[in-house]
Amino acid sequence: MNMDPVTQHSAQLTRRHFFGRSSTGIGAAALASLLGGGATAAPGASGLPHFAPRAKRVIYLFMNGAPTHVDLFDYKPKLKELHGKPVPQEYVGGKRFSTMTGNPKGKLMLSPVEPFHRRGQSGAWVSDLMPHTAGIADDLCFIKSMFTEQVNHSPAVTFFLTGSEMAGRPSMGSWLTYGLGSETDNLPAFTVMTSVSKGTSCGQIFYDYYWSSGFLPSRLQGVKFRSGGDPVLYLSSPDGVSRPVRRGILDDLAKLNELRFRDVSDPAISTRISQYELAYKMQASVPELSDISQEPQHVLDLYGPQVKERGTFAHNCLMARRLIERGSRFVQLMHAGWDQHNSITTELYNQCRDTDQPSAGLVMDLKQRGLLEDTLVIWGGEFGRTPFIQGNIKNRRRWGRDHHPYAFTTWMAGGGVKPGITWGASDDLAINSVTDKVHVHDFQATILHLLGIDHERLDFKFQGRRYRLTDVHGKVVKGIIA
Amino acid sequence: MIRAPDSLQYGKLDELNKGITASALKVERVEERLFTREEGQNASQSEVAKGLPKKVVEALSRGPAERNPAQLGEVEKHYREGMAAYSALLKKLREQVAEREKLEKSFVRVMVMQDKPGSRKSFILDKGLYNQKREEVSAEVPQSLPALPEKAPRNRLSLARWLVDPSHPLTARVTVNREWQKFFGTGLVKTVEDFGAQGEKPTHPELLDWLASEFIRGGWDLKALHRLIVTSATYRQSARWTAELARKDPANRLLGRGPRWRMPSWMIRDHALAASGLLVNRLGGPSVKPYQPKGVWAEATFGKMRYSQDKGEKLYRRSLYTFWRRIIGPTIFFDTAKRQTCEVRKILTNTPLHALATLNDVTYVEASRALAQRVLEKAGPEPADRATMAFRLVTCRRPDADELKILLGRLAILKEQYSADPGAAAKLLSVGDSPRNTKLDAIEHAAFAGLCSLILNLDEALTK
Repeated sequence: MNMDPVTQHSAQLTRRHFFGRSSTGIGAAALASLLGGGATAAPGASGLPHFAPRAKRVIYLFMNGAPTHVDLFDYKPKLKELHGKPVPQEYVGGKRFSTMTGNPKGKLMLSPVEPFHRRGQSGAWVSDLMPHTAGIADDLCFIKSMFTEQVNHSPAVTFFLTGSEMAGRPSMGSWLTYGLGSETDNLPAFTVMTSVSKGTSCGQIFYDYYWSSGFLPSRLQGVKFRSGGDPVLYLSSPDGVSRPVRRGILDDLAKLNELRFRDVSDPAISTRISQYELAYKMQASVPELSDISQEPQHVLDLYGPQVKERGTFAHNCLMARRLIERGSRFVQLMHAGWDQHNSITTELYNQCRDTDQPSAGLVMDLKQRGLLEDTLVIWGGEFGRTPFIQGNIKNRRRWGRDHHPYAFTTWMAGGGVKPGITWGASDDLAINSVTDKVHVHDFQATILHLLGIDHERLDFKFQGRRYRLTDVHGKVVKGIIA
Repeated sequence: MIRAPDSLQYGKLDELNKGITASALKVERVEERLFTREEGQNASQSEVAKGLPKKVVEALSRGPAERNPAQLGEVEKHYREGMAAYSALLKKLREQVAEREKLEKSFVRVMVMQDKPGSRKSFILDKGLYNQKREEVSAEVPQSLPALPEKAPRNRLSLARWLVDPSHPLTARVTVNREWQKFFGTGLVKTVEDFGAQGEKPTHPELLDWLASEFIRGGWDLKALHRLIVTSATYRQSARWTAELARKDPANRLLGRGPRWRMPSWMIRDHALAASGLLVNRLGGPSVKPYQPKGVWAEATFGKMRYSQDKGEKLYRRSLYTFWRRIIGPTIFFDTAKRQTCEVRKILTNTPLHALATLNDVTYVEASRALAQRVLEKAGPEPADRATMAFRLVTCRRPDADELKILLGRLAILKEQYSADPGAAAKLLSVGDSPRNTKLDAIEHAAFAGLCSLILNLDEALTK
């Protein structure tokens, strides 16, 4: 049964009204879909951004397992002096360490395994383990005074990415797409890719709550791009369904759905029609995104020898750039295997080999395209590693470092961050963050700030109270903003 | 640990038990004559039993139905020579009991909780830290609710009894509210998980209360509650939006129109399996692992865990039997629980990823193929009858003239497309494990499979 045209018209008007005003109705939730609608791309929360953003998008290179700040960036000559001597009690007294270390009393200090040098104009200290990162030191802002509250991997990663050590809160990418919406009409606004170095013995599982939307609508959760098969689950049409066959089916599907809409006027039906249309577009846009055959050799070379191999960090870095170019908001790359409890002299080298050049290459590539200006690149893990040894100091092959939450290093580049600076400092043994300390919530507040968001005003009411990425904490680190 | 039979096993068990009861009765009758004894004594206490081997006496001290196979075997062996008929009866009973033991061993084992003897000391933990104990606390129920009987032990059994006490207002309200959500998409109390201070107030408090008291009065009968809801005038209203209703109550909290919402993904899958005739509608049994793209578990766990897909009927069981891994849920479902805390509220969102799943996942492609086969076999030769039957199986109504015209138009084009590319038809018809009826013309079957995929993706097919 069809409505008369006048009723039809007013129902439509109401539908628009409903989309525009209701933040909870199914229509609104559906319209603000994961993939927005072209020029009108999926909107974010009202009133956002709060102020002019410096960055429009983020690539977070999450180094899962906690890279050793002591061996990579936080150069402390005194460590070499004290190599093999017990850790001074005044640095560690009363502090909680992982159960592997237990009481740190009497643990022996361990010198960095490779030499450090000052790099570029800025003179930032970077270890020889990271030659490519060293080469772009003048583009980077090192934060050497990071500290966290968590001492085990999963809670610490969850703390960094969701603001709470307990799993279940929305992750940073979900908050950002919730707040800022999407700028692409045929690719996910929030994408996740994972990798691990071959042959590593210390990879941690990637839990999907690292990119969960928590209590935010589930369309905001990160879309995991896979390293094998379809990059996006169920992307390929089944065998025997050609593009024209699919197109024809979808055309008539839309026609039938429109008939239904005329009958019941449920706005969810219109949403469904566009949802299927977007799925069809995505079936073309994702393969186009993944096809790197048109990338010139000199660009591929930036990312290093593994760039063509799906599932590697290098390949994911290139994909991150391609996603960002096509309007994606938040790309979260996670690379596991940084957990060197007994492999500082062995597997650490593989980790650096597999991540150093791609990370630096990504920054250079973004820069040469003019994308670095409004793209924030973040590099870092969930905590640092102990400046004292885990293992037997006489057995160099098995040297290791344990989890260390009290000081570690991250870096940022682009997106309105001052290039070529070092922010904050740890003490002379890299044990405790002491100058301009940056807590995880401060770090998150700063990221949101760079994207034009006041972290205290991006909230969501759930179970009777308003939640934020930064909980009730966080201070923007103004000193690193250009 | 308890053993939980599925419906097939349960049926077998029932049959065996009946047989055992009958056989035991026969043995009992013989033994009553054989081992004469006083009223209330067992066979081993009979004068006749004196001097029998110890193991035989031991077996006779139990009723025939209570003996295990070994015990039955002892008596059977002892009398094999002298009393062949009695021994044969024992042999039969022994075999039946042994078979029951074997069957029971094949049941799935399920973990259950049990109170430990005595009570454990519990403390308030300062800021939740496990090693920062403050004052000791004991078990009690919230003061705003009916009190526990004074003498009742503070344990799980008392809690369970308290929860379903007819004078307890909350349990029934929470339950009927969840059932209401199942039919209307939203509970009368929207926060179905939270009736506390931070929950939302009911839109229709009297209705909630009435439903709850009816539910208790009817002996907590869920089926009766469902009937009450689905036969109500409220439920049977048209789901049509009008401009006025859309303006006054866009979310339909005041129930001015009938419910209409996208089904949860598990229900969409069940619906497709049912419409296509693939569904295996059997109760109980262990979890099953239906289709899932290769490498999903392996990628999440660096190859430590690999998904091994089941075969046969396990691919077609209701979604509730699907195996869940906590770190990564079944990929065929969307808008699923996060698997960190218990979730009872429906989350319904729409993204193109959902459309990709119902268009491309093996489950749905196979369902399209099976649905096509079903109508080709059952609906007669006319394309219109076939399309109508497929449409009805999915939407529960006949297509109107306009709709049928579109369906038949598409069918004609699909036939042309697959005639031009028989290889594609063969490929489409080989998706999924279930065998296809090879007597059907492949071009015809593939074209109908395409049409059925369209029908299974109609808004109406995905929507309640």
